[in-house]
Amino acid sequence: MTELVKESQDRTTHDSSEYLESFKHRSMDWNAVKSFAAKNLRIAIRYPANFLVWGIMPIFWFAPFILMATAIAGPETSAHFTEISGFDNYIQFVVIGWFVFMYLDNSIWAIGNNFRWEQMSGTLEPLFSTPVPRISILLGAAISDTIQGTLQALILLNVCIVLFGLQYALIAILPTIIILTMMIIALYGFSFMLAGLILVFKDPSVLTQMITEVTFMVSPINYPVQALPKSVQFASYLVPTTIGIVTIREIAINGALDILSFSQALAGLGILAVFLWIVGISVFRYSEKWTKQRGHMGGF
Amino acid sequence: MTEESIFERMWKRRGLRAEIRAANALAVKQWQVEFAYPLSILWFIVMPFVFFIPSLIVGNAVAGGSESAYLAELAGTSDWLTYIAVGSAFTGLAISLMWGTGMAMRREQNVGTLETLMTAPMKRETLVWGSTLHNIQHGGLGVVLQLGVSVILFGVSLNVWGVLPALGIIALSIIGLQGLVFAVVCVVLLAKQAWMVVEFMSSFLFLVAPMTYPIAVLPPILQYISYGSPLTWSVEGFRGFLMGSLTGSALVTTVAALLVLDVIFILLGMALFRRAERYIRSKGALSQF
Repeated sequence: MTELVKESQDRTTHDSSEYLESFKHRSMDWNAVKSFAAKNLRIAIRYPANFLVWGIMPIFWFAPFILMATAIAGPETSAHFTEISGFDNYIQFVVIGWFVFMYLDNSIWAIGNNFRWEQMSGTLEPLFSTPVPRISILLGAAISDTIQGTLQALILLNVCIVLFGLQYALIAILPTIIILTMMIIALYGFSFMLAGLILVFKDPSVLTQMITEVTFMVSPINYPVQALPKSVQFASYLVPTTIGIVTIREIAINGALDILSFSQALAGLGILAVFLWIVGISVFRYSEKWTKQRGHMGGF
Repeated sequence: MTEESIFERMWKRRGLRAEIRAANALAVKQWQVEFAYPLSILWFIVMPFVFFIPSLIVGNAVAGGSESAYLAELAGTSDWLTYIAVGSAFTGLAISLMWGTGMAMRREQNVGTLETLMTAPMKRETLVWGSTLHNIQHGGLGVVLQLGVSVILFGVSLNVWGVLPALGIIALSIIGLQGLVFAVVCVVLLAKQAWMVVEFMSSFLFLVAPMTYPIAVLPPILQYISYGSPLTWSVEGFRGFLMGSLTGSALVTTVAALLVLDVIFILLGMALFRRAERYIRSKGALSQF
């Protein structure tokens, strides 16, 4: 028995030192990204009901807005709404907003809070002692959350199409995928920034709720951007989902693809992605350093 | 006085006064926890507005003015801004009660203090009432803040003479809502990770309540469900008094419906809570996650 223990200890020491000797610091470890994404997806698959619930639950959140609009403007289309938005079907308009908002919600609640969930599970400190860049861990979590979020958003869209008898242009599928991909990349930067803030502030319920509500308020989900005050419209375009919602709505509802405005939207999202990644990674690195220096990593 | 005698005296505490003091201590403790997080204070201030402003923008986008003829047909008032401002102010209080109190036991469990609290010399229901007391204060201040700012900034007009009766409606509504809260607590005690159930329950209740629209716009089946919810009559009464539109038979119907639902919901809620709490303890599942 003692020999077995000794042999096992020798092997562990040998293996780890071999690993550590060959270890080279990298700014991104794609194997770690893959492993973390797979680990998170494996956990998510254990709770299949979550996909369905989160795919349907947003209907309860946006139905009050539809009912309120009906109570104020009547069951027919509001002339004022059509004048400022350019669309004449409020439900068709709102559903696209919520479909895209699912990604923003996901980037805040799932990706941004990832380290907090690890902390709650008691795995944050072991995770931070693994010799891989933290950004790889976050990116892995982000990819798995994007896959889950996409499934939920598709469930929501399809349920709404059936429930409200909506129709969207099929030619919108490819441009939507392109815009969503660019938007998701930009949102990752935003999530990294949140992950850093949550390391510092800890209590995710308040910070996350506040950021969700503020981004929700400035995003054109239930109303067009034109309904916001001018100064808020600028803030609105700093949230990547705004460009996503506006562009996808134009193509999916009107059924026409304007190459110029589509390219402008892509360029806008590209600029936002670069900006948010720089800010996000800087904030995260600084927050991590700040938290470690104070020995605050495992603190609640 | 020896330490032992203090404990002996604690165990001898009985009566309503002792329970009220215990509930008050729990409410104060919750304030202290919230104020330990600086962001909580900021959230406390901005929360009433972030729920109201999106509704305000939607209203503006579809109405294009301060009056709505269609709302006048449905609810007897064309002032949609005041209508949704008062309704969403009440939403803040209801959310605070449903979520804050409903999940209070889970929070205690997460921080490892639930069992200690359960062994404290007070009634189990006091644990829930203490949290309710805190959330009435928290949500109530939010209502005052939102309505105050709505009047000053957005031109919402309120009937000053309706403030006292509206407070009476809030007092009545708390009894019925507490019944719902007890039901939520039961779900939390039994299912542990119950936020999904709570989310569904509260989202559904808010959907069928006339917070920012009259129930006439709901499909008929949801209108029937709405009549059976204390939230519906609470909002109607609260808004009716603050807008000066609740008089005569409508006033009698609202108060009578609220009283009947209060009795039904609080009795059912307390019975459910006692049963669930006994069941959990008999299974030794109080500290299970």
